[in-house]
Amino acid sequence: MNREHTFDFAENFIKLSGVVHRVASESAAAETIVSIFNIKGARCVALAGLPASLISAIDRGCEGITVLKEPYPADTLPGAIDAADVGVTGIEFAIAQSGTLVETATNDAVRLVSALPRTYIGVLRAEDIVDKFLDAAARIRRITEQHERNLVISFISGPSRTGDIELKLTLGVHGPEDAHAVIIDPR
Amino acid sequence: MATNRYEHLFKQIHDAIDDRSKSNALLRCMKRGRDTRARALETLPGGAAFRDEVRRIKERCIEELPRLQQQFIANARRRGVQVFVADSAADAIGYCLELAEARGATALAKSKSLTTDEIELNQPLLDAGIDVVETDLGELIIQLVHEKPFHLVFPSVHKMAPDVAEIFSRVTGEKVASDIPSLMKVVQKYLRPIFLNAQIGLTGANIGVAETGGICIETNEGNGRLVSSIGDCHVCVMGAEKIVATIEEAMLMILAHPVSASGQLPTTYVTWMHGRSPLGEGPERSPRESHLILLDNGRTRMRDDAVLREALYCIRCGACMNVCPTYGIVGGHTFGHIYPGPMGICWTAGVHGLEKAADFAPLCISCGLCQEICPAKIDMPLIIAEIKHRDAQKRGRLLSDRVMMDSDGAARLGSLTAPLANLALGIPPLRKAMATSIGLSSDRKVPPFAPASFQRRFKRHRSPALRPRRKVALFIDVYANYNDPKLGMAAVRHLEALGCQVVLPKQRAAGYPFIAYGDMERARRTARYNVSQLAPYIGKGYDIVGIEPTATYCLAVLYPKLLNHDLRARSVAAHTHELFSYLVRLEDEAGRPQDRAPLAGKRFGFHCSCHQRPMGGGKEAMRWLQRRGAEVELIQTGTCCGMGGTFGLKAGPLGHKLSAAVGDPLFRLFKNAYIDAIVTESSVCAIQLAEGTGKPARHPLHLIG
Repeated sequence: MNREHTFDFAENFIKLSGVVHRVASESAAAETIVSIFNIKGARCVALAGLPASLISAIDRGCEGITVLKEPYPADTLPGAIDAADVGVTGIEFAIAQSGTLVETATNDAVRLVSALPRTYIGVLRAEDIVDKFLDAAARIRRITEQHERNLVISFISGPSRTGDIELKLTLGVHGPEDAHAVIIDPR
Repeated sequence: MATNRYEHLFKQIHDAIDDRSKSNALLRCMKRGRDTRARALETLPGGAAFRDEVRRIKERCIEELPRLQQQFIANARRRGVQVFVADSAADAIGYCLELAEARGATALAKSKSLTTDEIELNQPLLDAGIDVVETDLGELIIQLVHEKPFHLVFPSVHKMAPDVAEIFSRVTGEKVASDIPSLMKVVQKYLRPIFLNAQIGLTGANIGVAETGGICIETNEGNGRLVSSIGDCHVCVMGAEKIVATIEEAMLMILAHPVSASGQLPTTYVTWMHGRSPLGEGPERSPRESHLILLDNGRTRMRDDAVLREALYCIRCGACMNVCPTYGIVGGHTFGHIYPGPMGICWTAGVHGLEKAADFAPLCISCGLCQEICPAKIDMPLIIAEIKHRDAQKRGRLLSDRVMMDSDGAARLGSLTAPLANLALGIPPLRKAMATSIGLSSDRKVPPFAPASFQRRFKRHRSPALRPRRKVALFIDVYANYNDPKLGMAAVRHLEALGCQVVLPKQRAAGYPFIAYGDMERARRTARYNVSQLAPYIGKGYDIVGIEPTATYCLAVLYPKLLNHDLRARSVAAHTHELFSYLVRLEDEAGRPQDRAPLAGKRFGFHCSCHQRPMGGGKEAMRWLQRRGAEVELIQTGTCCGMGGTFGLKAGPLGHKLSAAVGDPLFRLFKNAYIDAIVTESSVCAIQLAEGTGKPARHPLHLIG
């Protein structure tokens, strides 16, 4: 059943000009992510909200690339993340019907990592893809109940876009101009 | 008197009709919005039925608003948000000014907030030396040229790429190329430092969620994310009516907003913000805060007003603007004060004052398309009629409006004096005099009056003596009575041929002009009278059949609303049928296949009048014609032909001229269609289409011998 959700998510994310990569393991994910860095000619990348094992794997593959990680010193922000060419964040869950990545953050540095750099990569597990948009409410409620004070949940459905001039669609005006979803699917 | 008030409006309409460039850009935008919405609805489970859900939620949340507002504020404060309830615009502005001064902040980045436009927040901040920069591209463009929004969702739709290039050339001091990729690079470079250096980030909110105390900010550009995460001080200005109870309700709204406006599901970014998060780690972290200004500015008064309350269900999707025919010609600067379009009339009356709303309310020709597209099913035509009514009580009416409201009486007089009246209507100097005296356009061909009205002819009519299968009470309205009684008689013949006994109860014309021009008292009196005359026939087993679509609409849809849904009005509504819906059903029941095809080889372009859309959409008339061998094609732009009932008969810019401009795209479609004739059930649309296309526009019954 979840296989269909992955397929539906991919179809909808791609319709929104996103790019989808399906990989079988965390180490494969790291490889894919590093190859995106290289394709984009990235000199500096920023990571947030990722498991430690994945961060190490990415680090190992990044020769000659500056890898920024948490914790981000407050006095370097927002400039340090603005200097990154690619931002990578961990995704809590995704919604297939709308091609939406759902990112959770209790520190706004995470949001800058997915909002400032030109290229964005969201990393998630296939089992964390729910089918229908309206079904995601229960999951959102659980997350809000886990955090009593501050919390930001960000829906990300593709790269940033505008149609404000002559209705002509342009990507990446303030936010990322390309958005990648790396889905770890061991099956 | 009333005429001087609208002088400025007349001039604006005139200018818009003369120079169509902005209108053409706007019309393209509107058509795109309608088409993408239709496509998106196809993918949404339940399709357009989600409107019922949106309506239910908004009704409930506005009903419970006091309690939900308390719950929302308590939960927001629990999370550390500083909530300020601003009664007035001045209160909200004052709070922002004090806050900026206390923080010593001069750099303020803004993401799009119509609510801050509503209270005109920017100027006082700028006056206080705070550098306010709009980061939504459309809002930035109009900020740089000091204009108001042209459209709710696309504020700068009237600015073409070369215009925008010029604007940014001026602002950056560099020559900017007018291709869109180059433009976007310039915009990005211009705004990036603004984002990064902002001390205050000012946002609106699309939704407030009572159960969590969080807000939802929807954008496509991602500017909302940057504005709400970088500056240490976040301020959100939100109208209190945006509060919903649960996360589920918020999710539905998140889908409803963009589906209706631009066919997306959902916007690219939705930020659910709870409290205020730190930025980075370490001892150098500065304190972070979030202020929520919950704005009233007339919303409580709206909630207490039986008519304006419904306007609070508005979710600011802009769909009504995508379909409004007159708005498409004149645009948001004319059809609006700050809020433009159909919802703009309602909201201006609620938050900016009745007079300001009534200054542009006459632009509404009461076609009802806004209500059809509104995701919350808001009856804007009725709210606008009430606004026109309230204003007329204070400030009087245009003479031409008063004349048109009495068009039924005028038609009766015309019929009684028929040969003379028709002669007079054909004499140019007399028509010119009528244009200046009573406001009837001298350019408009008025259909001739028949010397014997349908009512008189029907008195002499002998119905067939057989035992009737059905009993029909006919609703004849104006045209088929005084101008074209042959049409009425043809309807009778067709009904009798299918075994109906037809009677003509005492009745008045349906009275829709009272809604169009805003005389609620006369509208209700007419409704009461017609319902009282027709209701007894229901008890005797009669069905009511109407010929004129708008008149049938009055019986079937409008009268119950005017009469507080009383039992008799609802009974009349439930037993009212459009002519062809009735004829086709009787034909189906009789099981008689159509063995003759009198219309074989004929091709017709069918026009569905606006008030038919919530009824049958004209499908039955088309089927009736197809059964008789005709090829029938529905030809439409998705918006009104421009006639607006009697609106197109009025002299001048707020009448015939604007009406003709609205109809242009539809005229072109009909002119280019390979058809023998235009077919429509609406008498007034027929006048408009015949004049605009030069092709004959006929009623379906007149196509058969």
